[in-house]
Amino acid sequence: MKPLVSTLAAVLLLLCLAVSAHSSNRVLNLYIWSEYIPDEVVAAFTRETGIRVNLSTYDSNEAMYAKIKLIGSGYDLVVPSSDYVGLMQREGLLLPVDTTKITNFAHIAPRFTNQSFDPNNQYSIPYMWGSTSIAVHTGMIAAESVQSLADLWQPELKGRLLLPNDPREVMAIGLKVLGYSVNETNAEHLQQAYEKLRALMPLVRVFDSDSPKQALLSREVAVGVVWNGEAYIANSENQAIEYVYPPEGFSLWLDSFCIPRGAENIEAAHLFIDYILRPEISAEISTAMGYSTPNKAAFAHLDPETKDNPIVNPDPEDAARGEFLDSLDDATLQLYEQHWINLKTGR
Amino acid sequence: MKDNTLFRKLLISGTLTWVGLLAVVPYLILFRTSFLERGGEILQATGWSLTNYTRLFSPAVFSMAMDSALLAAGTALLCLLVGYPFAYILVRSGEKVQPLLLLLVMIPFWTNSLIRTYALVIMLKADGIINALLLRLGLIDQPLQLMYTSLAVFIGLVYTLLPFMILPLFAAFKAMDLQLIEAGRDLGAGPLQTFLRIIVPLTMPGIIAGTMLVFLPALGMFYIADILGGARSMLLGNYIRDQFLVFRDLPMGAAASIAMTVAMGILLFLYYLASRRSGEGHLK
Repeated sequence: MKPLVSTLAAVLLLLCLAVSAHSSNRVLNLYIWSEYIPDEVVAAFTRETGIRVNLSTYDSNEAMYAKIKLIGSGYDLVVPSSDYVGLMQREGLLLPVDTTKITNFAHIAPRFTNQSFDPNNQYSIPYMWGSTSIAVHTGMIAAESVQSLADLWQPELKGRLLLPNDPREVMAIGLKVLGYSVNETNAEHLQQAYEKLRALMPLVRVFDSDSPKQALLSREVAVGVVWNGEAYIANSENQAIEYVYPPEGFSLWLDSFCIPRGAENIEAAHLFIDYILRPEISAEISTAMGYSTPNKAAFAHLDPETKDNPIVNPDPEDAARGEFLDSLDDATLQLYEQHWINLKTGR
Repeated sequence: MKDNTLFRKLLISGTLTWVGLLAVVPYLILFRTSFLERGGEILQATGWSLTNYTRLFSPAVFSMAMDSALLAAGTALLCLLVGYPFAYILVRSGEKVQPLLLLLVMIPFWTNSLIRTYALVIMLKADGIINALLLRLGLIDQPLQLMYTSLAVFIGLVYTLLPFMILPLFAAFKAMDLQLIEAGRDLGAGPLQTFLRIIVPLTMPGIIAGTMLVFLPALGMFYIADILGGARSMLLGNYIRDQFLVFRDLPMGAAASIAMTVAMGILLFLYYLASRRSGEGHLK
């Protein structure tokens, strides 16, 4: 009788272990921007840890945010942009990240940690970053004539200018040229930025945030305020398209790993973040994807072409003028809305 | 016979449940949400607020609605001008040609309209197919500015919505008794008179149905205006999307959607009244 009981108990225990190991450690449900992580990196992680990664993708912060907010389970790791980190954290949609479990956290350059949207990185670990700034088609207009944000207001650009189709990014241009923050909440400063931008509207030929490189490459516009990933592709297709970091400043974006509410495989999520932050892995991702890594230890492993490309890795002096977009409170958001509609309807 | 009624009941109740769950319930949620204050949650809703609806009448939003309506009306008119003769040709064409022509009208439906819009970009852009051809032929020496113009927006909208105009017109022409034209001619009507007093009144149901089918979707197709027109002006569709996604003001977005639906409902009601009156006219 006794051996039978103990055998049964042992089998049961093994089963329990297997089941719990399966549910807590063996799977990771990763929800990430499309084309944002190389398949080889994910496969290598599974080979090393035995954790199977279920990868699903999104193409806008809003889509990811809506899913986490409305469904609230099924994902262990998401990659929101900085403003959405702040918003989701305030709405209680994120679980804390235990940085003591992430041994490679120290590799992240200090200027990407401890940001206003997440002090002390309690909820987010930086993954990749970039900027929104001025791309100039030097085959259409002299490079020297567009070196600052103020240069955008020149009459030569009438009908040859592209702006992002995004209220935050457009207001950021007006705010920065006046010397204010891209996260301005002062109503009077916002009003001034709006007045300034009103004079820019007649020059705009197109608003596009989806594929602005298109208009530059086909010479529809000479100058565009675009996101650096677009400028990188445009530049690799046509060297005449240059990317400028204006003296007045510009907005930066930073996408970070976060653990959403309802995550079930928190241990695996930490393991995955730690794996990604290994210098050689971060370098591999940056090279493959063409985005900048916040991992300073990864620089030694970057291929020179990526490392020295100013569109991917601006020199620190330029990068220092950038400012991360943070989320805004509802009242300020309503001011942005008013100004945006008035700009678009020509009031 | 009995099986037949059971089958019918199952079919009807299934359809009703489907429509109820997927159309009516979401609409009720949208309706209730539109009366909330910003940030309100429908489950904890207490009051009924009209703020969102009064905001719809601010000058900026109102002019946006007018712009959208003008664009949609222009699209419907262009579709009618192109679709009417085509539907007539379609009806008069031989038995072998007609199915082929109908197929050509339907084929674009097999491709997603967003992809077709991007295909139009390849045609219209400064270094696109049309400009390359005209330059090669020596007809122009500078590329034409086709992209990001109202012309491009109308091309995109008419191209996408034309089948919705042609098909009801085709049905109307098909139902028309062609002998009436001959009868009119025998009674001394000229071509213009035949057209205005016989053909147009008899195809009126098709004209109205086609116009509705083009006008209503044209109000919502903001992505075509964005991609081909450069998003310089804001349309009602953009406004609703921005409220939901960018400004996170769900109640305002809901109010704008409801207002748009009500406006469409009024138009459909007017159509119903008009068709009933013309029906009475025929009886007299």
